[in-house]
Amino acid sequence: MTTAIAELKYQIYNRRLGLWLFMLSDSMVFLALLAARYYMQGTHRPPEVNQPLGLVLTSILLASSFFANRADASIAHGDRAAFLRHIGITIVLGVAFLILVVAVEWPEALHFAPPSTGYGTALFSLTGLHATHVLSGVIVLLFALLKGKRGGYTAEDHFGAEGSIIYWHFVDLVWVFIYPTLYLVG
Amino acid sequence: MEKAALLRVGVLVLVVLAVLTAVEYWVAVGGLGGATLTLLALLALAKAALIVDYFMHVGKLFQPESGGH
Repeated sequence: MTTAIAELKYQIYNRRLGLWLFMLSDSMVFLALLAARYYMQGTHRPPEVNQPLGLVLTSILLASSFFANRADASIAHGDRAAFLRHIGITIVLGVAFLILVVAVEWPEALHFAPPSTGYGTALFSLTGLHATHVLSGVIVLLFALLKGKRGGYTAEDHFGAEGSIIYWHFVDLVWVFIYPTLYLVG
Repeated sequence: MEKAALLRVGVLVLVVLAVLTAVEYWVAVGGLGGATLTLLALLALAKAALIVDYFMHVGKLFQPESGGH
């Protein structure tokens, strides 16, 4: 029994390490795009950038990270109902973020910074790549929600949920650098 | 850590992140001249450190014997 527990912990550690290595390599793509923004445009920012929208998007992602953290703590304590509730709120916030980016930010940006301009290239590259990460984050959270509903996680073994949540925090972490780069600097 | 204590720390981290975001906005809109870029970079790094440490539990990477639980 003791050997089985040690083996499980070893497996979880390896999965966690793999996830972090993936996120580290993924962040290099974002780093390249962030660097390209400053290389192409310096600190120039069009005055038409929608500041309130940037603040709302940032607030949504920060709030979603809080609820994701609550979901993580809940499943670690074996509270399945709270886990499902919190991960559900996280998914709703993620979808709201996506809708705002695609339906509000991009149509607005097309007018003052089309992709043919330097700033437009940076904006659509960064927010486009980030939006695909938000979408994939919502999908993996949905998988975690469905598995959680079926009782697939325990307090001792729930890396599927924890890994999905860590990935969601990574999506938030990337936005922490995209927000000032696109909305505030300049 | 107990659930109630985790909730308290989580709320505290969220509040600090919100305050740092508000300061970022104020720094950018207020326009602090040459210091703006440096301040924004420092604020973003502070927010990132909070997320990586508290939300993403990076410390568990250095505790292989515990499995992170």
